Amino acid sequence: MSGVLLTVGQTLLIVALAPLWPGVVAALKARLQMRRGAPVLQRYRDLARLAGKETVISDDASWLARLAPAVALGCAITAASWTPVLLAREASGLTGDLLLTVGVLAALRLVLALLAMECGTSFGGMAASRHLALSALAEPALILSGFTVAMAASSTDLGRISGAIVASPAAWMSPSHLLALAAMAMVAIAELGRVPVDNPATHLELTMIHEGLVLDLSGRHLLLVSWASYIRQLVLLTLVLHLFLPWGIAASPSAAGLALALVAWLAKLAALALAVAVLESVTAKMRLFRVPEFLGLAFLLSLLALASDALMR
Amino acid sequence: MPAASFDGALLVGAITALLAAVLAAITTRMRATGATAARVRHGASARALGAIGGVLAAAAAMRALAGADVQALEWWPGFPTQPFTLGLDALAAPFVLLLGLVSAVSFAAHASHGRGGHERLALHAGFVLALLVALVARHGVLFLLAWEGMTLLSAALVASDPTSARARRATYVYLAMSQVGAALIAGALLSLGARGGWTLEAMATAFATLSPGEASTLAWCLTAGFAVKLGLVPLQGWLPLAHPEAPAPVSAVLSGAMVSAGLYGMMRFAWQLPGSPPADWGTVLLVAGVVTALVGSVYAAVEPDAKRLLAWSTVKHSGLLAMALGLAALLHAAAQPALARVALAAAFMHAIGHGLAKAAAFLSVGEVAHVVGSRDLEQWGGLARRMPRAGVAAMVSVLALAGLPALSCFAGEWLLLQALLHGYSAGAGQLRLLAPFAVAGLTLATALALAACAKLLGVGFLGRPRSALADAAREQDPLVSAALLVAAALAVVAGLGAPQLLALLERPLASMLPSAPSDGLSAASALALTVAGASASPVGAAVSVALFSGVAVLLARLGRVRSAPRTAPSWTCGAPVAPRSQYSAHAFARPLRLLFEPVLRSGEDTATLQEGERYAPRRTHVRSGDARLLERPLLAPLVQSVLFVSEQARRLQSGQLHLYLAYLLITLVALLVWGRG
Repeated sequence: MSGVLLTVGQTLLIVALAPLWPGVVAALKARLQMRRGAPVLQRYRDLARLAGKETVISDDASWLARLAPAVALGCAITAASWTPVLLAREASGLTGDLLLTVGVLAALRLVLALLAMECGTSFGGMAASRHLALSALAEPALILSGFTVAMAASSTDLGRISGAIVASPAAWMSPSHLLALAAMAMVAIAELGRVPVDNPATHLELTMIHEGLVLDLSGRHLLLVSWASYIRQLVLLTLVLHLFLPWGIAASPSAAGLALALVAWLAKLAALALAVAVLESVTAKMRLFRVPEFLGLAFLLSLLALASDALMR
Repeated sequence: MPAASFDGALLVGAITALLAAVLAAITTRMRATGATAARVRHGASARALGAIGGVLAAAAAMRALAGADVQALEWWPGFPTQPFTLGLDALAAPFVLLLGLVSAVSFAAHASHGRGGHERLALHAGFVLALLVALVARHGVLFLLAWEGMTLLSAALVASDPTSARARRATYVYLAMSQVGAALIAGALLSLGARGGWTLEAMATAFATLSPGEASTLAWCLTAGFAVKLGLVPLQGWLPLAHPEAPAPVSAVLSGAMVSAGLYGMMRFAWQLPGSPPADWGTVLLVAGVVTALVGSVYAAVEPDAKRLLAWSTVKHSGLLAMALGLAALLHAAAQPALARVALAAAFMHAIGHGLAKAAAFLSVGEVAHVVGSRDLEQWGGLARRMPRAGVAAMVSVLALAGLPALSCFAGEWLLLQALLHGYSAGAGQLRLLAPFAVAGLTLATALALAACAKLLGVGFLGRPRSALADAAREQDPLVSAALLVAAALAVVAGLGAPQLLALLERPLASMLPSAPSDGLSAASALALTVAGASASPVGAAVSVALFSGVAVLLARLGRVRSAPRTAPSWTCGAPVAPRSQYSAHAFARPLRLLFEPVLRSGEDTATLQEGERYAPRRTHVRSGDARLLERPLLAPLVQSVLFVSEQARRLQSGQLHLYLAYLLITLVALLVWGRG
């Protein structure tokens, strides 16, 4: 029973805090650039505003357009419910492992791409095409670097992977782990839609990738899809943290351990937010045609991580 | 009636029903001058008989999987020595189950369009019958006859559109490559049969008496022969040409069931009969599988023809099947029977999961192509609204092909990745080197397949119709629409019931790997697949997504606006809303085409705006990738030498009678000299 409560609690935590992280990054970035910027809670206000707007869908849209936004949020929450946030615990029978989580996130991506093509406008198709082409490179790197850490735990179970890394801190410094972490970080930047791959604050449709997907959505549908994207981002961040840097995560469900885990998780997220804000302030977005090189590098790094694991054993 | 004879009766019933379907279709043809109503009724009876045959075959296979051994049935005195026997053993059962289900829905969806419909129906039933007999044949010569019959009947179906030059060319390539494959298989089986006997048991004994070198040569010949059916690189060339040309229900059987017959052949004749596969067999299959999966998915991602896109996707999935089988052989050779079992289970699960999904995809996409009158995605669009049932079936089955969780292709890919991970950890020889590349190839292929599927669904079914025919498209035959939905439902059931399906495969796995412990795959929970502590629950994923989607809908309704969404024209920046303002299939694939240009060599696509075109060019020139690029360096020398030999042979045929008489004389003299000497 406590297991169910904990799962529900962790899921609620991700769902509730998801819109906060991009707000924190934007606020930090504004301070770094000597601007006042929007308040940290701006994303929540945007979502609340969308809840009050009328929803308009295209004349050309099919039944998919009415269904897809909710399914997108369903996929995102499902992935969130499988992610270990506070406790590195073996999954129970009805949950998913690393591969199933990646699969559910792929389903979310596909649903968003199809939703973008419902209106029959150029921007939706363009964003969907780019999004899927870049993900075709990012996803293998994600799975390969995930595999490198799964190898250490000899399982693809997310809780076991975190637990195995906590249990043997020395393995953390191995070259394969560091290479995989580098690859994972590059993939995360691409998947989060951050500079230098994509600019979340862009207003120019031709350069949009993630924003282009939701260009034709409005009202309630935009609310659902935006929230799904925020949850997906936080799930990815938590996966990066807990598969590669899982310190602080509780090994057993004690109150003190869980409280410490919560503090550690929030502190690591804040550190990542600062890192992303600095990175976004000092680099420029790269040309779209150069992004495949960036992701190809991530792919090669992750392959190298897996291969060096074979050599080092 | 004793249980054993009941199981035999199911099999005989399936064969009889298929035979009756052929006869019913032919007799309808002979009475073609009669009233139209009678023809339609007879067409319906042939379809019903075919569907019954499929269901009976699936039922017999389920009995065989549940543990009933369907007795070998003597059927004919036989040729050359032993009687022809049919039997359904554990190894054949999963493939017969797949064939039964796929053929049943394909007959139900076989609306006889246009002229020659009844001939096509007869050929379709005959093709399924030959495929079934090939799977249950327990006699070498019977197997060869059925295998050849299957090739010839399906070639006739590929050529069934007499006006299409593309279909003629596809048939030619298909027949040429299949006959080379069949010759390899026939040569190996005949030389085996001549040593011991013609039953499968006698062939296994004959294998045991051969020297290792001879045995492995034969096994390699058989493997190469079956690799043609499976469409492995560099023998994949015929598959994307031939599979799309056949009528949709036949494409469904070709891609859904005949491809996996190639896998069955490899398992039966190159692994089970010799006892274990030859050395390096696993390595070769694994490497070929990775390359095939990548080639298939890259070409699927850039292909603008809807049915050919699905055929390329079949090539990709064939690659996964070969990977799983090769991995199982590698792990078997490295004395890791429990892991070999996981890899082999992946092969079986993927064969069934892909077969069902691909059959549903070909049926629904083919039906849409028939209604729209074109297979070109640039002529489609907006079809999910206009043909909702075909749209749902296509959506579900194509998402399944993309390997999404809780649908039919996920379980096989999941098991394959688990086997790769643990096989790599176990450190089995070459696997140390191969596994990272195999994982990379597999995930890249899967991610590319996702893009291909999004293109097919997004460009083909969503948005605005791109042609007048697509705009006017409506569902035609309610029975066909129902069959499409059933086919898609099968893919969902196979996905959600993956743990149960895995439990059913106990006997086939044991028949391939007698030494493997059965607890290697602990299917402890009835709701999840479990390997070494990691579990994936398709039902859990589906329930969870559905539940949270429901919560999302409820949450969204808490907002101040409670009205239903309003519809309005799309905003295209002030330009008139036109079909051509959408992203085209070519444009959608362009980032990937540029990315894989070194492999595809498709040539630059050019589009220039001309007078009177304000926003979109009226004509774009694109040369799509040359799919034969990969096989050219490998097959060109072969083709050259065959051409050279036939050129020399043609010189003998001058057409002059006295020269032919001279040949006769020379032959006679030579024979006389040889006979005396």
